[in-house]
Amino acid sequence: MNFKENIFLIAFLPIVLLLYYILPKKARWGVLLASSLIFYILSSGIFTFIMLGTSVTIYVAGLLMQKINDNFKKQKSAEGITKEEKKLLKKKATNKKKLVVLAIVIINFGLLLTLKYGNFFLGMVNSIFGTAIPPLSLILPLGISFYTLQAVSYVIDVYRGTCKADKNFGRVLLFVCFFPQIIEGPIGRYDKLAGQLYEGHSFDYDKFMKGLQLMLWGLIKIMVIADRAGIFVSNVFEKIYDADGSILLLGVLLYTIQLYADFSGCMDLVKGIGQLFGIEMADNFKRPFFSTSVNEFWRRWHITLGAWLRDYIFYPISLSKFFANLSAKAKKNFGDFLAKFLPSAFALFFVWFINGLWHGAEVKYIVYGLYYYVVMMLGLLFEPLFVKITNALHINRKSKPYFVFQVIRTFLLVNLGMLIFRANTLADAWYALCAIFSKFNGDIFATSILSYKLHIYDFIVIAIGAVALFIVGVLQERGHHLRDEIAKRNIVIRWTIYFAALFILVIVGAYGEGYRVADFLYAQF
Amino acid sequence: MEKKILEILSEVKPGVDFEGRTDLIDAGVLASFDIISLVSELNDEFDVEISVVDLVPENFNSVEAMAKMIKRLEDED
Repeated sequence: MNFKENIFLIAFLPIVLLLYYILPKKARWGVLLASSLIFYILSSGIFTFIMLGTSVTIYVAGLLMQKINDNFKKQKSAEGITKEEKKLLKKKATNKKKLVVLAIVIINFGLLLTLKYGNFFLGMVNSIFGTAIPPLSLILPLGISFYTLQAVSYVIDVYRGTCKADKNFGRVLLFVCFFPQIIEGPIGRYDKLAGQLYEGHSFDYDKFMKGLQLMLWGLIKIMVIADRAGIFVSNVFEKIYDADGSILLLGVLLYTIQLYADFSGCMDLVKGIGQLFGIEMADNFKRPFFSTSVNEFWRRWHITLGAWLRDYIFYPISLSKFFANLSAKAKKNFGDFLAKFLPSAFALFFVWFINGLWHGAEVKYIVYGLYYYVVMMLGLLFEPLFVKITNALHINRKSKPYFVFQVIRTFLLVNLGMLIFRANTLADAWYALCAIFSKFNGDIFATSILSYKLHIYDFIVIAIGAVALFIVGVLQERGHHLRDEIAKRNIVIRWTIYFAALFILVIVGAYGEGYRVADFLYAQF
Repeated sequence: MEKKILEILSEVKPGVDFEGRTDLIDAGVLASFDIISLVSELNDEFDVEISVVDLVPENFNSVEAMAKMIKRLEDED
């Protein structure tokens, strides 16, 4: 089932909402659990047991660590115990908990690696050793890349003491499989999300309406802009060697628009569905194309993935003893700047390698991750030089023109990343990049642009859509809360806006011949 | 303590006025790799051990929040 399908929007969601609000508050989380399981079973059938297995492992791990903690507390409060003995007990308890976390990481990431990357590794074995082991027929359960990260974060949070282990398996299961987030996130945290899921919320008209508005906005982004742009993009990247450089350039630009509209639109839809139940889910986008650096872009794009990698990969590596020693050595042997740069470069490598690999079992995804790593490292390394150059040229780094320059520079760098991400192979990406500069012909552009299954009307719709996204982004950057502002208007204006949005979705949405209900782009990761 | 923290901050991230700011993380003034340099300096200066659990925005959004965290860690020792 997909959130854009009629069966979900007209039948599944309304029934779940009705049941949620007519049942007593105490039973409401049960409605969410039952509906999430039904949603998962309808999408994944028998393979639901894989998601259930992950939930069981983290539930048991949580209880085990709680038991270790309780035992430690009991032992340390025993009479006559010395400070040294307390320290020893703490160390023993921590080591035991570390083993539990390690087991969970090995089991769950082992499962993810096997199912998602099994054939990729097999292909590598075949090419290195000249063997011909046939590929395995592996299935990829719905949302495994997302829920595995979320599930593991629960165990690590219990280990760190930032949340307590839950004694109720149903509640842990709901945290893992809550249906709005299961397809492509956001990757929730137990301390922020779980309480909201278990608490029975009262019906709140304003929140409900705001949820509907957000869903409508998300659907417009997806069905008016993304699905339409996707038709052109698919056709261009299918016949990449036949296309002129100008078409390829437009293909990359439209892919960037498509991916943003699709993924952020899906997140609006997900957040909107959450708000219908009174649940606030984490933000995954914060107007990424207003970023002044690639580093900032990744703090505004797929925020929950970046935060996960930061909290569970980057920080633990950076604060490890090995890292502290490396830092101390760098300080001793190099200047202050390199002492700061080298250890960060070391820790960030893992972050970006994993970021790339997480997106898929292909070399191009690893290169995609490492591309951002290289861009960021070069940015850090040359930062002092940039400062000197801009100072020498008397450029005010806080001026508006410099801000615009930085935003455009970031946008171009991100588009290059998008090309690596979308091209079928690295060779295709390289070819397209070269062709954009060497095979650029305006005449061919004019004669061939309509041969990619999009009418001129479609390009106009996409362009208007992109401008609308930009204007909304500018207003939000300036501190406007558009949904609140609409809610304050009188009933005539308010409903005119709602109906206009619905009208746009129905009339301009990408339906009918040549269109189909497309899968969410990020669901494949 | 606040004065020393300000000194360290201006070494880690020169050219920023940290005084009175309460949104250093939320506004993206301090990125994650700045935090790592900062933690290393704070650990050395105040002889504390800032752990992963302490690396939350609430502890680094302002100089006062950092001072509060360090005092808590000193008391825990």
